[in-house]
Amino acid sequence: MSAIPTLALRAVSKSFGMTAALADMTLELFPGEVHAIVGENGAGKSTMIKIMTGIYQPSSGQVEIGGAPVVLSGSKAARLRGVAAIYQEPMVFPDLDVTENIFISATGAGLILDRRSMRRRAEALVGRIGMTLDVDREAGGLTLAEQQAVEIARALSQDVRVLIMDEPTASLSAHEAAELRRIARSLAASGVAVVYISHRLEEVFEIADRVTVIRDGRHISTRPVAEVTPQGMIADMVGRAVGNYFTKMASVARDEVILSVRGLTRAGVFEDISFDLHRGEVLCMAGLIGARRTDVALSLFGVHAATAGEMRYKGQMVRMTSPAQAIALGIAYVSEDRRKLGLAMPLPIRSNISLATLAQYLSPLGLIDRRRERGTAMAYRERLNIRAPDVEMAVGVLSGGNQQKVMLAKWLAMKPDLLIVDEPTRGIDVGAKAEVHDLIRAFVRDGGTALVISSDLPEVLALGDRILVMREGRQMGIIDSARATQEGIMAVATGQSEAA
Amino acid sequence: MTGLFNRLSPQGLRILALLAVILLLLAFFASQIDGYFNARLFSRISGSVAIMALIATAQTLVILTRNIDLSIGSVVGFTAFAAGNLVSTNPEMSALLLVLFCCCFGACFGAVNGLIVAYGRVPSIIVTLATMAIFRSLLVEYSDGKSITTNTLPAWLTEFPNLPVFTVFGLEFRAAFVAALIVVLAAHLALTRLRPMRQFFAVGSNPEAAEMAGIDARRVVFSAFVLSGALAGLAGLMFLARFGNITVVAGLGFELKSVAAAVVGGVNIFGGSGTVIGALLGAVLVDVIDTSLVRWAIVSEFWREAVLGALILLSVTTDTLFTRRLVAWRAARAHARREAALNQEARP
Amino acid sequence: MKTTKILGAVAALMLGGAGLAYADAIKLEGGKDTSMILLPKFLGILVFDQANEGAQEAHKELANPGKLDFVGPTPENSVAGQIEIMTTAATQKLGAVMLSNNAGDQIAPAAEAAQAAGTKVVTWDSPIPSAKGESVFVAQVDFGSIGVVMADMAHSILGGAGEMAVLSATPDAANQNAWIEAMKKTLAEDAKYKDIKLVDVVYGDDQSEVSYNRALALVDKYPNLGLIMAPTTVGIQAAAKAMQDEGLCDRVRVSGLGLPSEMVSYTMNGCAPEFALWDFRDLGYLSYYTAYGLATGQLKGEIGETFTAGRMGDYTIEADPGREGAKRILMGPFTVYNKDNVEAAAK
Repeated sequence: MSAIPTLALRAVSKSFGMTAALADMTLELFPGEVHAIVGENGAGKSTMIKIMTGIYQPSSGQVEIGGAPVVLSGSKAARLRGVAAIYQEPMVFPDLDVTENIFISATGAGLILDRRSMRRRAEALVGRIGMTLDVDREAGGLTLAEQQAVEIARALSQDVRVLIMDEPTASLSAHEAAELRRIARSLAASGVAVVYISHRLEEVFEIADRVTVIRDGRHISTRPVAEVTPQGMIADMVGRAVGNYFTKMASVARDEVILSVRGLTRAGVFEDISFDLHRGEVLCMAGLIGARRTDVALSLFGVHAATAGEMRYKGQMVRMTSPAQAIALGIAYVSEDRRKLGLAMPLPIRSNISLATLAQYLSPLGLIDRRRERGTAMAYRERLNIRAPDVEMAVGVLSGGNQQKVMLAKWLAMKPDLLIVDEPTRGIDVGAKAEVHDLIRAFVRDGGTALVISSDLPEVLALGDRILVMREGRQMGIIDSARATQEGIMAVATGQSEAA
Repeated sequence: MTGLFNRLSPQGLRILALLAVILLLLAFFASQIDGYFNARLFSRISGSVAIMALIATAQTLVILTRNIDLSIGSVVGFTAFAAGNLVSTNPEMSALLLVLFCCCFGACFGAVNGLIVAYGRVPSIIVTLATMAIFRSLLVEYSDGKSITTNTLPAWLTEFPNLPVFTVFGLEFRAAFVAALIVVLAAHLALTRLRPMRQFFAVGSNPEAAEMAGIDARRVVFSAFVLSGALAGLAGLMFLARFGNITVVAGLGFELKSVAAAVVGGVNIFGGSGTVIGALLGAVLVDVIDTSLVRWAIVSEFWREAVLGALILLSVTTDTLFTRRLVAWRAARAHARREAALNQEARP
Repeated sequence: MKTTKILGAVAALMLGGAGLAYADAIKLEGGKDTSMILLPKFLGILVFDQANEGAQEAHKELANPGKLDFVGPTPENSVAGQIEIMTTAATQKLGAVMLSNNAGDQIAPAAEAAQAAGTKVVTWDSPIPSAKGESVFVAQVDFGSIGVVMADMAHSILGGAGEMAVLSATPDAANQNAWIEAMKKTLAEDAKYKDIKLVDVVYGDDQSEVSYNRALALVDKYPNLGLIMAPTTVGIQAAAKAMQDEGLCDRVRVSGLGLPSEMVSYTMNGCAPEFALWDFRDLGYLSYYTAYGLATGQLKGEIGETFTAGRMGDYTIEADPGREGAKRILMGPFTVYNKDNVEAAAK
């Protein structure tokens, strides 16, 4: 490590009106290191990134690059000085192809696009990060992992010196996340300072050289990762003890079979899925991205009807053809995509919670009884510990964890028998994760049944009674979680071994 | 052939589909109307498309950036009037100067829209709805109740649109149409080959990402409006030359026609994708339907608008379904090929 | 110099109307203070400005110390704008509103409210169809006589036999439809026109580009077409330009209602050998006299009342034959323009 940091924040503060998002923040990034930054949602990580990438200007303090104070007047200025960032939700242009995406912010190039040489360079860049990707494909059709690779290639095309990766693996499967970490390490090895932000602590321990903990906009600690323990880091982050996130709970499954699926197939998407789900059970579905777990859930919920196979619900043969039918039968589905499918961001918490159960709030005149609606919303706010001063607040302004809880509340309000949850804790902080887990456990204890799709293996092990592993649209096996390990699940999901 | 087919972008496919729809429609009308195909049909359609193509191109530039320009008809009308006024008082002025004047004049209106939309952060639909009325009112004030009449215009101007440039297979290409084609092709080349224009797609495709990528989205939106205004100004000049008689209602309703042509031509109304070639074909399609319906005896005058609307809907739906199927089918084939290749490798 | 051809039919109708209720003409006394507005369909059209000139001339002549304002809506806001201006006029307690109605019966409630507030509503050029809220309509010409004039022009241009088509403004323009109906009636009833065939009626929305394209479509649709009759100033000009541009003037002629200044070149080169129009200055002038008389209480607005409208002579309020329960003042006559008189009129 050289003595001069590539980029440094010196006593940087940033406030919005009365609220201080960052206070007296100091950070030094050296070439060749992977520097993890951890903190709860709302700790000030995104403000910090925005200052480093020139989107925000510090209220006070100094940004230094290569030891000299600089003013980053915008994201373009930051790019020119070699600072780039990639995010959990990849910032790609869906209508442009990979080549165009990579060179979209190319500076200092000529006026006229030389398509052929751009294409060649794009292939080289994609190759450099060890991906195989058709550079003529439109970015909108790529997987999240591929889109992130495009973003990294874009940063590399501009001689990047500091690469900030904000929750890059939150949406990726374990295999893809490992691939991304490998890319991050190799970038660091080539002299880039990599800032790595993640909620997956095991990931931080695997990849980082040093780790900085921030809380409430303040710097708490920066230490070499070897000197830190997970418990100590979590305590630093939350400033309090965290519940039973990693603790395995005893199963409360009963004998009664709620859902029985045999040979369920949707032609061309998934095939031959068979399992029994018992009352009180939590069945987790594990697999890599592209394993088609969500598609199975969507068929169970009637969004896309299955083309073959049978499904028995509470002993009755059913053919699920619409979500309305599924809801009427007491099945709820909590989507992984909060923005697109789950929540109406501009609407208040109250309306979001009552959205799926509006019929319950109608007065005899057919009008919505707002008082009752509000009462329910407040009850769920208490029960799920949704941190919002008022249920009239727009959901869009809440943190990711609280949004997730609103979405759960919406479906719990329906009092379902079977709850299908897709990636319930993606991108939310450890505290909120534990709360979501507690909610699901409470739900099955009270007689509910849950089917949980998750790419977070510790979560799958902690939450599931049994684990159904999928790979490329096929069911690879069902493992009892008491006998499962992360490595074992991974081996099955990647097709390296058969399920026991 | 299959190689070419596989290489075509979805936009390219869409253009093929549009061409197919246009040919189908022509065949349909030919079966319904006696003596439908003649050299005049081409002159008619190319003549009115000449103006609409420019306006559809202008509208496309704005729509690509996730905006819309409803003031375009007023800009066309105002420029036509101002240019008519200018050239009738200075009949000796050079054609080049007049073209420059019209582009700059239109660009000024575009700049007003662009400033408010891009830097004032007011939604374009509201801004241009207001400026549509404001520009039109300014024209009423400026015109002082006078109209521009053909006899005050120099002959070279009014004769220009109908000058035959060349004839292919008995189809006469006239100057207005050829000029419009050149402008559309230039716009197409610029959009596909110029780096700054590529940013139009980026901003329309994902504005946040564009900001993050260091693109000055505001400047891009502003430029789109200015360019669109300049093209609308050019269309105004064309309008003046073709119709000669300019009153304050000139260009009324062009805003919706231009949006229709662009959308029919496959320009995504939510920004980010589309081609001006598509918009040109969209303009052709709408005009073919419009022109042919007048000649189709079965459809009475009162039903024509409704039939026009229905046919536009039908052709857009056909085109969308057709293109989507084609893209899906192609993707499935590509997937199958990849799988086959993988299996091949896996074998020892 | 302007040569005026008074048409027999018009003269007969006028004499008939005047003869029924003959009385001494009321001489309007000038100098009374009343403020009025002249409200056109929308601003920016030459003929409406001409009407304003005529009204201003009468305003000076009568030495009215009040104000005469020329206010109107913008083209794309015509209907709502007219209603709003009418409503405002009533609240300002104006003496009269002179309206060229473009809002159909939608304006009737506002006009009735104006009447209730003491503001007279005199329509000109285009009336309120139901006559609700309307004091009297100053008709440019008798709608029936336009039919005769158009049929006569067609007869003269086609040499007594051939196919003709009508290019109108919009399918719901009341005055256009009335004129076309009148022409159809004349063609059907008089044996003189038996060889003239009306093949189609199309609409150009009073916009240059639509009218231009429609005119060309007519030529394509009817290979034997000899004449396009356009009773709208925008339509006739666009049709003439289209025929000239396509070199069709020797086959297909254009006629209808047009402005001499816009039509002069087409009349001289034979594309539009004859067309007709009334004088909009006179229409504004007569409307002003009528409105002034009503607003100052010198006219009651009853059928049979006759008054002297300055330089234009005597006029009588009569029942409107086209609209039940409505009253009108018939201006007439109008001028047919041809090679001999169009150049002088265009100046």
